[in-house]
This record gives sequence, C-alpha cells and structure tokens, in this order.
Amino acid sequence: MDLLDFARGPALQFAAGVFCFGVAWRLAVLIFTPQARDLTPARKGALPGPVAGAREVFRRMWPEMHPTGSNMFTTINGYVFHLGLAIIVFGFAPHIQVIKSFFGISWISLPPVFIHVAGGITMASLLAALVKRLTSPVLKLLSTADDYITWAVTFAPLVTGYILVGRLIQPYNTALALHILSFAVLLIWFPFGKLMHAFIVFLSRARTGAHLNHRGAQL
Amino acid sequence: MTGNAKSAADLTDAEVKSAADKLLSLVGGSIATYTEACLRCGQCAEACHFYHASGDPKHTPAYKLVPIAKAHKRSVSPLGWLGLAPKVTREDLAEWEELIFDSCTMCGRCTIVCPMAIDISSVVASTRQAFAKVGLGPADLREAADNSRDRGSPLGLTPEALEDRIEWLADDNELDIPLDKDKAEVLLTVSSIEMMKYPQSIVGMAKLMNAAGADWTFSSVGYESTNFGYLSGRGDIARTMIERITTAAEKTGAKTVVIPECGHAFGVMRWSAANILGRPLPFEVLHITEYLAALKRAGKLKFKPYDGSLTYHDPCQISRRGGATEEARYLLEDFATDFREMTPTGNRNWCCGGGGGVQAMARAADLRHKVFQIKMDQVEKTGAETLISSCANCRLTMDESAEHFHWDHKRDSLIELLADHVIE
Amino acid sequence: MSGKLTLGEHMSQRGVSRRAFMKYCSYLASTMALSPAMAPAMAQGLAAARRQAVIWLSFQECTGCTESLTRSYSPTLEDLIFDFISLDYHHTLQAVSGFAAEEAREASMEENKGKYIVIVDGSVPTRDGGVYSMIAGRTNLDILAETIENAFAVVAVGTCAAFGGLPYAKPNPTGAVPISDLVGSKPLINIPGCPPVPEAMTGTLAHILAFGELPALDDKHRPLAFFGESIHDRCYRRPFYERGLFAKSFDDEGARKGYCLYEVGCKGPIAYNTCATTKWNGGVSFPIQSGHGCFACGSPNFWDQGGFYKSLPSKTTSIGKMAAAAAVTGAALGAGAAFVASNSKKQAAKET
Repeated sequence: MDLLDFARGPALQFAAGVFCFGVAWRLAVLIFTPQARDLTPARKGALPGPVAGAREVFRRMWPEMHPTGSNMFTTINGYVFHLGLAIIVFGFAPHIQVIKSFFGISWISLPPVFIHVAGGITMASLLAALVKRLTSPVLKLLSTADDYITWAVTFAPLVTGYILVGRLIQPYNTALALHILSFAVLLIWFPFGKLMHAFIVFLSRARTGAHLNHRGAQL
Repeated sequence: MTGNAKSAADLTDAEVKSAADKLLSLVGGSIATYTEACLRCGQCAEACHFYHASGDPKHTPAYKLVPIAKAHKRSVSPLGWLGLAPKVTREDLAEWEELIFDSCTMCGRCTIVCPMAIDISSVVASTRQAFAKVGLGPADLREAADNSRDRGSPLGLTPEALEDRIEWLADDNELDIPLDKDKAEVLLTVSSIEMMKYPQSIVGMAKLMNAAGADWTFSSVGYESTNFGYLSGRGDIARTMIERITTAAEKTGAKTVVIPECGHAFGVMRWSAANILGRPLPFEVLHITEYLAALKRAGKLKFKPYDGSLTYHDPCQISRRGGATEEARYLLEDFATDFREMTPTGNRNWCCGGGGGVQAMARAADLRHKVFQIKMDQVEKTGAETLISSCANCRLTMDESAEHFHWDHKRDSLIELLADHVIE
Repeated sequence: MSGKLTLGEHMSQRGVSRRAFMKYCSYLASTMALSPAMAPAMAQGLAAARRQAVIWLSFQECTGCTESLTRSYSPTLEDLIFDFISLDYHHTLQAVSGFAAEEAREASMEENKGKYIVIVDGSVPTRDGGVYSMIAGRTNLDILAETIENAFAVVAVGTCAAFGGLPYAKPNPTGAVPISDLVGSKPLINIPGCPPVPEAMTGTLAHILAFGELPALDDKHRPLAFFGESIHDRCYRRPFYERGLFAKSFDDEGARKGYCLYEVGCKGPIAYNTCATTKWNGGVSFPIQSGHGCFACGSPNFWDQGGFYKSLPSKTTSIGKMAAAAAVTGAALGAGAAFVASNSKKQAAKET
C-alpha cells in the first residue's frame, strides 16, 4: 500500500469516522441540553419558533447593520474566503467526483481556470484574516489555540491543492496523497474546534431568531 | 450610595466554587449553544458603545462569554471530566466583574452584528447571578436591590411615600390619580426614578389615561416596576418585585399591567416575569407607549400638533430587545410636525450607556460619560431642537451626562410631551 | 533454441549459405571501413560468436505478456529471437517440453554462467509452501531461486511479476508476491503493464544487448525511458482536462466528442507508462484513444484501487455504514455527556 492508497483508503475512512462521531456528539450535547420553555406570550404576529429560527439562518447571511470600522474588512473578507472555498470545493471537477463517491450526487463543474483564480484569492484572503488576528488588539485578546489550528487545517488543503495542480512535488501520487491527507486532517480536527460553526450556526441563529421574533424584536 | 464593595480577592475557595457552581447551574441549551458558537471574529466590539468609549479590547462583548463558557466546557467535555479543562478562578471573577456589570447595559447591539447571532445580553444576565451569589457586583447596585426588597423601591419610595406623592401630585395638578381602587381594568406601575426625579411624567401618564377614559389604578401592594433584583443578578429579589406587581394585579382583577417610561421594567415584566415566576401571568403587560398607541388607534386619544423639531432615542429594552419600536413613532405620527430620525435609529440605535443598572453605578460614571459622546453626536447631526425618549433611566443617564459636559441641548420625555398636547 | 550453436551454425541452420554469409560480412567490413581482406576474419569472428542467452520463466501468469511481445513491431520478436538473443527456455514458444526442456534450461545456465538474463512473467505463490504453481514437480520459488543464482540480471515482465498483479489482488489466496521480493540484490528491471507495451519489453532488452548494462530505472525499477512520465502528461486529450470538458458516461455526447475520461475513471495522472506515446499495435491506438479510461495497469495494486470506473480522487473504501454507526454512537455519547452535565448542574444548583 503506498501513500496514495493509504490516503484514499484507511485514512479517509478513519477521518470520516472521527468526523461523523465527533460532529454528532457535539450537536447532541447542544440539542439535548434542556432549555426552559418560554412562558411569556408571543407578540401578536410572531411566527412559530422554528419558522422564525429558520428565517434567521438566512437573514444573517447579509449584515444587519452597515459594517463600521474594521468590521467592513472582516465582513467582506469573510465572504471572500467562504465563497472562494465554496467555488473550489463545489465547482472543481475532481472535488465533485469526491462528493459523488461519498454521496452519489454530482453536478456540472466550473472551468478549471476559475478554480485556480479562486484558489489564489482565497489563500490571500485567509492570509489577510490571519494577519488581522495576529495584529488586532481585540482579536489578540479573544484568540485561542483553536483559532490558529483551525486556520492551519483550512489553509493546508489550499496549499497542497496548489502543489498538486502545479506539480511542485513529484510524483503525482505523492502530491495527491498529501492533498487527500490534508483534507483528512481537516475532517479529524473538525469536531474539536471552530469549524463546528458550520453546524452550530444553524442552532445559534435559530435560537436567537425564535427568541427575538417571539418578542417582535426582529429587524 | 457606594458602601463597601466586596472584592473578588476576598473570596474564599468555597465561595469561588459556589460562583462557579452557580454559573454551571444556569447553562441551559441556549447558553451552551451561544458559548460554543463564538468564532472570536471580534465584530461585536464595533457595535458596543463601551468599546467605542474606551478603545479597550477587554470591552469586546464576546469576551464576556468566557466565565460561563468555562463552566459549560468543564461540565460537558471529557477533558473537563478528567479535570483537564480550565475552571473558573478567583482571578476570573476579579477580572470579569467590571466586564459583567460596569461595562454592559445588556442592550443587545452586539447580537445585531454577530454572524452567529449570539445573545450576549442573556449570557451577561445569567453571569451576573453567579457574581451576585457570592456578594460581588457594585455596592450601590446591590444596595438598590436591597432597598427594593426592604422598602419597596430602590430610591426609598415606600408605600407610604407613594401615597403621599400621589396625593401631592393629584392636588398640585388638579388631577384624579387613583390609588388602591378595589377593581380596575388597568394597573399602572411606576419607576421610582420618575416618582423621585421626574414626577411630571407621572402626572402626564395620569392625564393621558384619564383623557382616554381608562379604568385604571395604582396599587400600594405592587407599584415599583423597576427590578434591581434582576439588574444586580439577585434572583430572589427579582422574583419578589415581580410577585408584588402580580399580586396587585390579581387583587384588582386588572387585565392589563402598564409599565411606565422605563426600559428594563418593561423587558422584565413582559419577557421574563412569567419564566421567573414559573407560570404564565394572568394579565397582559404593555409599555406605556404600547398602551397609548392602542388608545390612539382606537380613536380614544387625540393630540394637538407639536411644532418644535424632535429626535427620538430608542430605549434598548423597549425597541431592540422589546419589540415596541414602532409604537413611539406611531404616537409621534401626525403629532410631531418636524420629527427627525437619528442615525442609526430604531433597533440599530446606540444605547444611552446607563441601562442594565449602569446608571446606578457611581464607579462607572467616567465610562458612561464617554459613551454619551456618541449620543450627543447623533443628536447634533439631526439638528433637532429637542431630544426625547420614553425611558426614565435613559433620561436620567442622559441628563447626568449632559450636565457633565454642559450640553444644553433640550431633553424631554415623550409621555410628558404628549400629555401637554392631549385634547381632553 | 540452441545454446550450443554458434551464430555461424545458426545462420547455416536457417538456410543462409556460406557464400551469402561471406557477402554479408564483406558488406559489414566495408561499412566499418575495414579492408576487404578483413572480411574473412570478421566472418570467422561472427560465426564463432555466442548470442545473448535468455531464460524465460513463466509463473502465475496469463501469458498475456508473451502475447504482447509477439506483437512487437520494432524490434520484432523474430528479430530478437533469431538475431539478437538465444531464447533457451520459454514454455509457450519452445518446441521441446518435459525433461528435455528442463535440461536445456540447466545447460544454458551452466554454459552462460553470470551472463544470462532471466525474464520472468507471473507472480510467485508462497502460501502453503508454494504448491499453487509448480512446474516439473518443483515450486516456482525453487525454480526462481535456482535460475537467478548465476544470472546477469532479472527482468520482471508484466505487472504480475513486477508488483504481484492479479493473483496479488485481494484476497490473494495463493500468497502471491512480486519477483522483487525474491531476487535479493540481483539487478532487477520491472517492466510492468497488463500486459506491457511490446516495445517497452523489446526496447529494454535491446538496450541491454546494445550497451551491456541496465537502462536508467525509477524507484520501482522501471526503465525511465518507458515509465518516466504519466499517461496524463502525454495524453492527447489533456487540453480537455485543462478546460474542464469531460465525458460523464460512456457514449454520451462528451465521450463521442473525445473529451477527457477523468470522470469515467481514467487513472492517467497516476499511471506511469508509455501507452500515450508509443501506443499499441505499432502506434495505432491506446485505451484512452479508443474511449476507455486508463486504469494504471502498470502500477502496483491497480486492481484494488477502488474500481476502474470510479474516478481517481474517489474514496476506495466503503464508508457509509461505518459513518452512520459512528454518528449514532457519537450522538448517543453526546446525549450522555449532556446528561452528565445536567447532573452536575443539578448538583451545582443544590449547592448554591
């Protein structure tokens, strides 16, 4: 078994197992931690909680208030690397093939040149985010090891992806193995750190959406 | 009203554990979700008036999540069970006291910008309970809560003083102000800030209620709607204050309890009281602006127009947290001929800096004053003559800060303005 | 087969008359700018020369490698056998069989000690003492060990010999191993492929014969001349890959337009072989040109790499059930953790 066989085989299997186990654990904790029912009557015209909650998930995709100060950078930069990652992950033909091998679904891919450009922009965006985190007094106070580890495991697949596409490491088998392994590392880290926000975002926005909508306090 | 503040450094180990235990006992599904949701993106700082005032990163709202987050993580993660997750320490309590009390009005502005919609206000409210449990928190705030429990109100307005005041105001203004009617449809409550500092707004409310022909009364059994028990994190006193009003309402058979110009009083009675009591309230709770807006809609209140230029400060607990943003504007519609919104306004408006009990904390005065510069700037940009609001605490905060800056811009209460122009 | 015959005797056996042979040698001499008087000496020298001895061992194989070899265009097998090498032992091609065949092998090994080349196709079974492939009552293990002992070099032809191939694929019931596991420090060349491109085999042998040494090899002992580049890097459909134009299924519009076959399982990027340049059947075509993706038949373990029609980055193991079980277990334990925390909270509430 060479490195590529290991990466595509047992490594991905283990990573997927840890991912599913960990994410399920984290979400179960939040879902099964009881929350007292709200005994106050809802404001007239309030939507049912789950509906208001679902609505909030989408509403928060756009800033509620014009970003001021450094929030303009944080907001725009956040969109840039999220959209960039989405374009790369969901638009690149080999990635669609991976998704197909896991879930059986696929769709039309983007011309590779878009992916290469998106990759460069995304890497620059992530680097900018790191610089911000390292230099802003607010972020320096808030940041934990999690923030940096999460950044690294998110950045690594971009690096190994470029190495693969640019043939910077030979042979192709090794470069492909490294790329797949960098993704496996991301899957393994996922449930332990900040990447969980991909799931928690639905819970936190929904709770606040339901809570504020109950009060009629929606914007 | 300062007294001797207890310091976290004086806490015994048992007390530190007690505070940590209290934090843990308050972690429900929402708080657990919120503490795990924080991305440490730092955007909340820009939304917070205290961060703007001080420029100090420690005033970043997300930083206030740390103590309860620690308690949660320690209880729910295997690392925590093994004792390998950090626990809440004496140093934490010392460092965070100022962040949980002096520099948070629980105004909810941070939640607006948070991409994860974390409700930091509710986390702070819960965290205060843990500090209060071991006697921490500004002494004047604790004292206000004690007074509320022992004497009926934070500023010493006892039932006897209430009766005296009401009699005096009724006489002075030749107005009927009912107290302790056997039965009434509406129970009106007061905030002692009004009774002691802005009695004209009590007169104004009475005038408006009478003009609309409402069947209402005050009650000496339950009159104080401010809740310094809630603000200081002392749940037992919070409950006592709510019980008094509830008893008074049940005694008079009131279907509606009206909260005067006060923000958190409305927030607590309308959105928390039933949960604190553990049962739904047998009456509806309305802020005075909501009640009057309903009367206006029903054609029971008409006003002569007001010609001066006005701008309105949205009290956080009524607008952003309370959902009654539009009521004040409806009241101003066709009444204020030159009404100018400040920027930002409505649910995005800036907090006055005095809510959440911060106005009662003498040691927070400097910070409050710095915060007020934001409001002064907002008002001046509108070019309006008069700044009005419908929360007596905002009013007190703004008056006190205005005096500090010698800012002579006119300030008034919405209720008083309306009362002056009501067509009887 | 004639380990004992000289080139002259061999020519004579082929019906080349002495006169014709002399003419050939004169021609050779003049092209080498030797005087006409040298022709006889040359004739004498050549006539007495021994040809390169080659012993071909076939183990757990399908004979595809030999079949491919017989389709070689340049040099042709005939060229090889009759003019360059002395194929002293080959089951399929030799005329004799039985004891005589074995004797021929042993004789060649003795006569050409240290100079003969051993070509092997097929893997060697090792389980149960190697009984799963035996010739003349002896295991492949035995025969190989004995034959390579005094060999000049070993050439493992075909993926079975080079990497274990089909017998080696899961579950490998015969305990098949590649030849590389058994040659110790003997110089080894792997010419994988299922089968190898004929010219890869003949060209490599020609190199050895022409220069008397092994060609440059990669880390898997494969000649760089034929295995140094991937199919992907020399594929004529590469521009479609770069443009993101793929066949989605066989015979769809993309397939008929000759688009890249990555999405129907082509393993070109990890296939190191010469098919894309040398092609097959004298340069006529190769699998991709015929519309079927490469499945890296010259790579180790290509049978067990997930599937010929599953694209290259696909996972190769089944994950669904395991993931579902992991999720259910995780959720149960997470709920348990919430329960533990809830008890702590009740305890904490009591103490406050």
